[in-house]
Amino acid sequence: MILRGILLLWIAAGIILAFTWAPLVPVLQETTRVLYFHIPSAWVTVLALGWSMVASVLYLYRRRLEYDDHAGTAAELGLLFCIGATVSGSLWAKAMWGSYWNWDPRETSIFFLLLVYVAYLALRGAIDEPRRRARLAAIYSVAAFVAVPFLMFVVPRLYDTLHPDPIINPRGKVDMDNRIRMVFTGMLLGFTGLFYWMLNLRVRVLRIERRREDQGRPMEVAGA
Amino acid sequence: MTGNNVVLAVALLVWGLLFYYLLRLEGRIRKLEK
Amino acid sequence: MSASRSARAIWAILRKECRSEWRTRYGLNAALLFALTSLTAVSFAAGRLGDRSDLLAAFLWIVLLFASLASLSHTFVREVEGQTLPMLRRVASPTEIVAGKLLFNLLFLVVIELLTIPLFLLLMAAPAPQWGAFLGVLGLGSLALALASTLIGALIAQTRGRGALFAGVSFPLLLPVLAAAVNGTRAQWQNLPVASELRLLAAYGAALLAVSVLLVDHLWEE
Repeated sequence: MILRGILLLWIAAGIILAFTWAPLVPVLQETTRVLYFHIPSAWVTVLALGWSMVASVLYLYRRRLEYDDHAGTAAELGLLFCIGATVSGSLWAKAMWGSYWNWDPRETSIFFLLLVYVAYLALRGAIDEPRRRARLAAIYSVAAFVAVPFLMFVVPRLYDTLHPDPIINPRGKVDMDNRIRMVFTGMLLGFTGLFYWMLNLRVRVLRIERRREDQGRPMEVAGA
Repeated sequence: MTGNNVVLAVALLVWGLLFYYLLRLEGRIRKLEK
Repeated sequence: MSASRSARAIWAILRKECRSEWRTRYGLNAALLFALTSLTAVSFAAGRLGDRSDLLAAFLWIVLLFASLASLSHTFVREVEGQTLPMLRRVASPTEIVAGKLLFNLLFLVVIELLTIPLFLLLMAAPAPQWGAFLGVLGLGSLALALASTLIGALIAQTRGRGALFAGVSFPLLLPVLAAAVNGTRAQWQNLPVASELRLLAAYGAALLAVSVLLVDHLWEE
């Protein structure tokens, strides 16, 4: 219980400080605030992907369905945070550079992650039997694991040569001020904690559902 | 009532709602786990 | 399992695939239909693009991509619909099955390309390619396409989904191929070096091959 309370206050404090105490970055002006949500979202997106992939491999080795619960749940959460990161990034781009989407290398990377998540979840959705779903999804997860480095780093770089990025990426300047760095790190940790809590809740629901099905009384946890 | 404060208030509200929802979910889960 | 026995098994599977395909030609028809339709649409809409090597490269690979998405899953779908997979699995190992089907998909792609690419070059009034670089990119790109499509095809065949799911699920894996191949094809028309694209395609193909080899035994169980 205490941990939940800490998370509540931690993120609330982060939000408040982000809007009041932390200074603005000169280049970004008021849009500075977005980075406290946008970048932690992107971070969780990547974290969730990694978690899902590790869980997939563990399933292939140990064959315990709990691992697949983690894989699927992390992917669902990853998709949510990825959508958040993409949308916030797009709004930020509009405010900063006047257009919602530019196929800028970072935008392209986050979009590719979105594709991977959607494909993975679509594959899962098309298989009913839990063990087969776990196995095939895990295979795809490993395949995606080799594709992601190419998608995230190589492909965007290829298009640098075709569409030279005329936009100065302000990322280099952002983390210099101490207060910004503090709030930023705080939000990173806060988002990670939030991800872990949501993951934990969903995995517990899945465990309950499976236990009940084994006992012959399937039941849905309302709101889960 | 600056724009900054409005967005701040909305952000806190959203976070509060999300937290409340998750907390209630956790409560229901704990009951089912007993 | 000795190497020559495996080789013979793979060869047998390859021949079986060719014969199955030739009997109905569903996959071939689908691929050619998609290739020619998209080629016609592009040619009709964009006309002769002799001076736009970037567009030419992009359209070429889009046509090949569509043809692949329409047909490369058929080797596995055929087994599922004919319910011949259990029998196949009793006589061959998963590795041999996937290897045979991979070779078939590669051969299939080559046939499609032999039919479509000259037509493309003619219709679009493309400049003469630098054959070495052009064929290099085409070859490695096709290999990577076949590798990704065969793996995903094996997965999709065991799901409820079909063509649309195959396209959606394989797309993220095919994007690196598309990007590198388009770049490479464009580069050779612009007299630029294609070495880095070739390396990329080779590396990606090798990575996909490694994943397939590692995981092939998990593909079919129960």
